Amino acid sequence: MTDDQVQTETEVGSSESTEQVTKSGSLLEREGDAAADYLEGLLDIADLDGDIDIDVEGNRAMVSVVEVRAGDLGHLVGTKGEVLDALQELTRLAATRETGERSRLMLDVAGFRAARRAALTELAKAAIAEAQATSAPVSMEPMTPFERKVVHDAVAEAGLVSESEGEEPRRCVVIRVS
Amino acid sequence: MLEEALGHLVRGIVDNPEDVMVSERSQRRGQCLDVRVNPDDMGRVIGRAGRTASSLRTVITALNDGRGVRIDFLDAAER
Repeated sequence: MTDDQVQTETEVGSSESTEQVTKSGSLLEREGDAAADYLEGLLDIADLDGDIDIDVEGNRAMVSVVEVRAGDLGHLVGTKGEVLDALQELTRLAATRETGERSRLMLDVAGFRAARRAALTELAKAAIAEAQATSAPVSMEPMTPFERKVVHDAVAEAGLVSESEGEEPRRCVVIRVS
Repeated sequence: MLEEALGHLVRGIVDNPEDVMVSERSQRRGQCLDVRVNPDDMGRVIGRAGRTASSLRTVITALNDGRGVRIDFLDAAER
């Protein structure tokens, strides 16, 4: 098996799938605590500084590793967030082992997802305006599951509909007026 | 540091963390880490379509300043 060649991505349990089970606050807290322990251990071993914030956003645990000095944690993000996605995957598995419930926690490192979310929301707004102006479907660029989720959320908020089409890694959101 | 980091990442996701052993082997072409896990945990560390193994490689390579590290997964009984 070669490194970084595995592109298989199932929608089940991905950031994009619709939440069907309501998780109790205490379960989300346990998930967040387990994730924080796992990440703190890694930071210690790698001699990296970072503060860990745990939050609950909607029905999901949100764990953020915040940089103490700008640029310190760039390695843990990667140029396109690929290291962050890998670390999120492992952190979910660690939280799942701890709680016995499948974790769908969201991990952010150095504000990468927060910045990406803001930029994508702006892109989505422009695409929504285009769909409304032309009444024609608007197809976005291929995106990761997290990115598609941000666009789906912005579209739903604007009262339009969207769905993902195509296969990874070329899967993209299509926005429709109705 | 890589050995320790990989051991930590793997121990956190398996059912039998006490059986996890990581050793380093130098090869002609760069570094190789052997991870031994309980046979029952093999599926866990590989993951569906190799996804977990791939995530472990991505994170360890990042910690090695982007220099690729080979990681072999072995059953704890293998030598």
